[in-house]
Amino acid sequence: MGYVLGLPLITLLAILQSTVLGTFRLLDGAPDLVLLAVIGWAQTGRTREALVFALWGGLSLDLLSGAPFGMTAIGLIAIAFLVSLLEGRFWEANFLLPLGVMVGATVIYHAGLFLAAAATGRPVDLDQAVTRVFLPSAVLDVLLALPTAQLAWRIHETLFPPRVRVG
Amino acid sequence: MIRTRSSALLALTLVLIAAGLLVLNIAGYLGPVEGLALRPIGAVQGWLAARVAVLRSLLTAPGDILALRQENEQLQAQLSQLEQEVIALREQAAEAEILSALLGYARSQPDSRYLAANVIGRDVSPFIRSLWIGRGSDAGLTRGMPIVTERGLVGRIAEVFATVARVQLITDPSTEVNVQFQTSRADGALRAQVNGELWVDLIDQAAEVASGELVLTSGLGGAYPPEVPVGSVLTVRQRDFELFQQAVIQPSVDFEALEIVLVITNFQPLLLEPGIP
Repeated sequence: MGYVLGLPLITLLAILQSTVLGTFRLLDGAPDLVLLAVIGWAQTGRTREALVFALWGGLSLDLLSGAPFGMTAIGLIAIAFLVSLLEGRFWEANFLLPLGVMVGATVIYHAGLFLAAAATGRPVDLDQAVTRVFLPSAVLDVLLALPTAQLAWRIHETLFPPRVRVG
Repeated sequence: MIRTRSSALLALTLVLIAAGLLVLNIAGYLGPVEGLALRPIGAVQGWLAARVAVLRSLLTAPGDILALRQENEQLQAQLSQLEQEVIALREQAAEAEILSALLGYARSQPDSRYLAANVIGRDVSPFIRSLWIGRGSDAGLTRGMPIVTERGLVGRIAEVFATVARVQLITDPSTEVNVQFQTSRADGALRAQVNGELWVDLIDQAAEVASGELVLTSGLGGAYPPEVPVGSVLTVRQRDFELFQQAVIQPSVDFEALEIVLVITNFQPLLLEPGIP
């Protein structure tokens, strides 16, 4: 059930990233919808699905980019795996923890894109990348981290209600 | 612990799959698959881009919204029907306006043949400045074809699939365009900086380039047709100890507001990159 709903949704988010967020810039940047969705789902404990969504979402993004096909997917899989290691400890520890995780994930994600661009011989500048890409994206991703996590939990509870023993 | 190990194994497998795809793509085996996958994605992008254009025109024209509201108050009985009609007409009018301007430009350049294409998306990587257009090899597009609007040069086609194509903008730092200044006739090489600024380098020290001067493509190198407007000079940097002058250029095209572009289909570009047919 998770895959049936998740894979088309992830593809749609990648298309929205290209079509809508490419046109409407917020704070001179754009939130990373696929990254948010993958992290949100990884936080619910559905690690295997989150990893597959990371691969699928990364490939969808790579299709819509001039970046090397597969690079974004590798970055997203790594992030989903790292987030899954913290599974279940988010809400128990501190509500700020998911925000910190999101900042870290955004930096890793964009650092991966930055390195991929550099590796393919594109002119890149670290200072510009930090001020014009990393920071605006991190702020927007953090702003959306908690609503995304809440939404992911709601969807998780709807699709996979906890089992109750009767009798 | 077992679960973590299982997840690690899955993650490793998926990374290997992605790495395999990366290698296959570099080797050039994934082109047909990408083209196939981009067919439905391009269709959805095109549909969404049309809706986004409507939304954008509504958001950027507050006066029109007010007029629409007043009209709606007077015609409450037909509210929903009129709203839909007005939005559709507005979009058509905006599109007609753009097409009219493009047609005027095309008529002024009778030697070139043009094909109009909708902009359906932008590159999702913040380090690559390119956009997607809703036409591809099915419409006769090939790699390297120049893209213009009535205002000037946009870029050229970097990748072509059956129904969509990716256009590398002149604001992408890996693009280089040979240009000529209209009045001083000095030559130079235009390249975007990482911060998005357009710079023309390699201008002869003896050339008298003035602020406001129009910059056109020179046609040298054969990558772009000659005499397509690129922008105008903002500032000139001239230092006695340097071999060349540099100029900062204000592009004539608003790259953030592109909705429809023209592909010059009868220009045969000279492509020097490896692996280009």
